[in-house]
Amino acid sequence: MKAIEDAVRSDAPATRVVVVEDDQASADVLQRRLQANGMVVSVAHDGRRGIELVEELLPDLVLLDVMLPDTDGYDVCLRIKSNTSTSPIPVIFLSARGEVVDKVRGLSCGAADYITKPFQAAELLARIDAVLGQARNPRVPRLGRPIERAPGERLVARVAIADPALSEHVKQLLASRFDLADADETPDVVIVEGNAAIPADVAEDVAVIRVSAGRAGSDGSEVIPVDAQLPRIVDLLVRERSLDHDLQAAAEALIVLASAIGSHDRPGAGHGERVASRAVQIGRSLGLDESTRMTIRLGSLLRDVGNARLPAAILTKSGELSPEERAMLERHPILGEEILSGFKRLSGLLPIVRHHHERLDGTGYPDGLRAEQIPLEVRIVTVADRFEALLADRADRPAVSEPEAVRILQSAVARGELDAAVVAALATQVRSGGTR
Amino acid sequence: MTTSAPAHETDAERRHEHRFQVSESIARLVMRTTANNLPLSRDDRPYQWSTTTYCDTVSWSIFRAAQKGSAMQLRIREYHRTRPREVLNPGTAWIEFKDDEQDTSLKERFGVPMDVARSFLRGEAALPEPDHGLAERATVLLREGARPVAVTQYNRLAYNSLDSSLRITADHNLMYFALPWETRGDSDAEPSPLGSLLAMEPDVIVEMKWYGELPHWAVDLHAYLKESTREERPSKFIVAMRWLLGETDGTKKTKKK
Repeated sequence: MKAIEDAVRSDAPATRVVVVEDDQASADVLQRRLQANGMVVSVAHDGRRGIELVEELLPDLVLLDVMLPDTDGYDVCLRIKSNTSTSPIPVIFLSARGEVVDKVRGLSCGAADYITKPFQAAELLARIDAVLGQARNPRVPRLGRPIERAPGERLVARVAIADPALSEHVKQLLASRFDLADADETPDVVIVEGNAAIPADVAEDVAVIRVSAGRAGSDGSEVIPVDAQLPRIVDLLVRERSLDHDLQAAAEALIVLASAIGSHDRPGAGHGERVASRAVQIGRSLGLDESTRMTIRLGSLLRDVGNARLPAAILTKSGELSPEERAMLERHPILGEEILSGFKRLSGLLPIVRHHHERLDGTGYPDGLRAEQIPLEVRIVTVADRFEALLADRADRPAVSEPEAVRILQSAVARGELDAAVVAALATQVRSGGTR
Repeated sequence: MTTSAPAHETDAERRHEHRFQVSESIARLVMRTTANNLPLSRDDRPYQWSTTTYCDTVSWSIFRAAQKGSAMQLRIREYHRTRPREVLNPGTAWIEFKDDEQDTSLKERFGVPMDVARSFLRGEAALPEPDHGLAERATVLLREGARPVAVTQYNRLAYNSLDSSLRITADHNLMYFALPWETRGDSDAEPSPLGSLLAMEPDVIVEMKWYGELPHWAVDLHAYLKESTREERPSKFIVAMRWLLGETDGTKKTKKK
């Protein structure tokens, strides 16, 4: 039989520790104790060597004495925390100085913990475990990133600078990232010098960037110096502007279409916004990052945009739909996807728009996807949509309370329609009286 | 993917398993008596965190069968010194199959690298030398769509007789979590973050598992536990699933006299 502890030891990577301790005997005892617990230990006896070891080894943890021969531990800690490559490494102070002010100073230098000598080995190990546990990395989003640019596609730049030498220099710099515009070609960006006038034939929606042969002006004007960084900066500025354009267009479409849809069948004004808000809350409680939550929000707002292409008579019909009408209504996710597919920046929302009526057991529409085929973001929007719909009066049934709505969704979970963890997150919010 | 042979543990035969929910003070007395008669388990670091990820299907077929008194649990167990906030972490994973009946259980498990465990859950890796046919049954469940759905975490103190005929454990800080359904295409290298905390046990869960006859001191201890327990306990899996599905407050209301 293989012992669990052995298995854990053999598979988990060893914790690497740098000990900075000037007293040889104390360092030896500490080193043996840590090694006995499966850690790999390196020892420095002064501050300078300690910093060198940390920068060289990038350990998982630093154990740092306060009183060192060449400097003090506070200084060493601050240096570790000031270096971007070493700043994430947790530091624990080990010191005979036990006054409150010493501890406060150590912690204010960025240490994760402060342990007073003499200490029990068990306490030290427990604190090391706690500190290492807190130093874990955050997670990543789940849906694919939106497409930014077709592979191989380069932006087109036009250099409109009167000074021939400066113009040529700028062209040479930009050539690494941009195609230079021909006379009849519409550029993505135009480069002009300082406060020079923008050429009259440049369209309003083209990015204009002002450059200077000298250093950037200190008067707050946005003039970019002409140096090796110029292509990168221009590229970033153009991308940012392009993103703004896309988002602005998407927002305008959102407003127009959402209001058009809201005027048809939805249970009261603001349903879309309530679904979005609820879905974002659920996403937050499931630990999704801000970017993913933004995707969920926009996806929630646009999920029914396809209704705009359906006959109003279907959307406003109060009686039961015929099979043909039902089939037509169930095409709205596909229609929504078609409407939005032209927006590159909104490509990340398309799974939400297309699949928000899918069910885990495969009985949803339009594609009959099953559990593992439906992204988490979609499952969240589905739950938020159904929950908010239950809270509103409809022609065929009255509104229900939030706890009752949760119970109804839990029944849907039991039938295999909804993600249990998503509904559980919603239930937790409702129990705790979570507000929008 | 690691190709090393997995560690393999299996019960020789079906064994008795009783669970008791007791107060912290009762648990202390029980474990003190236990410590006088049994050694600490060699395989369990005292108070280490056990994280168990339970699988079920979209139609909850495993849970439904367990409620009827007979089911095979399919679960992944991990051990950590501090409580992880994610599951299916890199390191050693124990793929466990546990066949529960009213009063007894049969367990088999394999210690493998986590990437092998994930591969097994996707139905892409087979386990060698299965006993009792449990692994085959698990493979069927996976084909039917069983996936990780709920998680328990707790600190365990375990005592084992040298011949493994008797094992007594106390689980502190028991927590139940939801786990969002995995999406195809989720990165296998990424651990899965825990979902919402469904519930925390305020008490201690003491479990006695044994083959054959109990020694006299353990018979007395068992009687004391029966007298002192707050609730007859269903398995952690059933309690977790009840919480997950909002079916009850998680426990069976059969208060002891």
